[in-house]
Amino acid sequence: MRGAPVEVLRRVPLFTDLTKREVQQIARLFKERRFAAGETVVQEGSGGAAFFVMVSGEATVFIRGKKKKVLKADDYFGEIALIDDGPRMATITATSDLVCYGLTYWDFRPVVEANGRIGWKLLQRMAKMLREARED
Amino acid sequence: MKRVVPLEKALDDTIFGSKAVGLGQAIRDGLPVPPGVALSGAIVEAVAAGEQPAINEVAKWVGPLGGPLAVRSSAMDEDGAAASFAGQHLTLLNVPSADELGSALSQIWWSANSDSAITYRKRVGLFTRPSVGVVVQALLDPDTAGVMFTKNPVTGDDERVIEASWGLGESVVAGIVIPDHYRVDRAGQVLERKPGLKRVAVRTVPGGGTVEEKVAPELVERLCLDDDQLLELNRLAGRCEQVYGPGRDVEWAIAGGTLYLLQCRAITQAGR
Repeated sequence: MRGAPVEVLRRVPLFTDLTKREVQQIARLFKERRFAAGETVVQEGSGGAAFFVMVSGEATVFIRGKKKKVLKADDYFGEIALIDDGPRMATITATSDLVCYGLTYWDFRPVVEANGRIGWKLLQRMAKMLREARED
Repeated sequence: MKRVVPLEKALDDTIFGSKAVGLGQAIRDGLPVPPGVALSGAIVEAVAAGEQPAINEVAKWVGPLGGPLAVRSSAMDEDGAAASFAGQHLTLLNVPSADELGSALSQIWWSANSDSAITYRKRVGLFTRPSVGVVVQALLDPDTAGVMFTKNPVTGDDERVIEASWGLGESVVAGIVIPDHYRVDRAGQVLERKPGLKRVAVRTVPGGGTVEEKVAPELVERLCLDDDQLLELNRLAGRCEQVYGPGRDVEWAIAGGTLYLLQCRAITQAGR
């Protein structure tokens, strides 16, 4: 299989406003990445430049050392890094062997730069997310 | 450019990375490098993306090498003056055959795009898209291997500093053992022989990967290089300096009585 599952990507808040065709365009850019059980998938505070969708396996999310939740197939993480390639906000550890699909900042950015419609929708969605975060 | 070429035809480090081009230069200059091919950054990425034509092209070139294989990253801006990617990008030893290469290339591509690699790139001021070429070579099964500095990296003295241990050189590079330590002057006179504590040897295992194997007690502190081998290493150091210039950091291996050059790069400011 090439690319990430479209139906999972359509549930990612950042991509909610995109059409199926636009999501398919992005899904094709994902590459498979495997992690062994026990491996640190992302490290809180470290630089990050990829967004991942989980296909199988289980991972645990920690923030400042405290266990926050367990991720399973069809869960995703790291989407904000696609926009700002900023530091990771949590540590995620593989609790079993993981198969993920990952998309890097460098692969995502040219799509957005070349497609104003996608860029505008992402901008609107980011504004909504920011507004919601301020209201919380 | 999605390309695979024999190592000796890897000429452009913006396409194949500095390790591939360095080894290609070594072969063209008659240095003893194990046979192999260079994969461009673009074809490595295409394989990582699951593109079948790219997978077929790589298999066509790598198949004749047989197996097992050593699969080493060769980053475009690797080993530059400001940024050394040693330790950031993966090397996979003992990939059983061309059939398992796709997964190995995917791991190497992601190692250049991992969080730790990104963090490192930012720290050294690199904000460009990572691209990683790959060198695929027949994997040696060495009796002895290690590293050699063509001048002393600590004192700057004009002498060869050699560190050696049993089995694959990864035990030396990764600091798994205290290697034997030798100093040899340019004329080949051995200035110092200091046995290390080589309790394990890194060996290949059937089916892929490597294992740390216990070394027989009588070999733990026995010197693993004799004077003839030190002389040969000294000659290799001289040839490397002729080809690449002074101050080289060389990875080498002795398999079946033959000395091979695995990598040659400039000594970094901090040594190794």
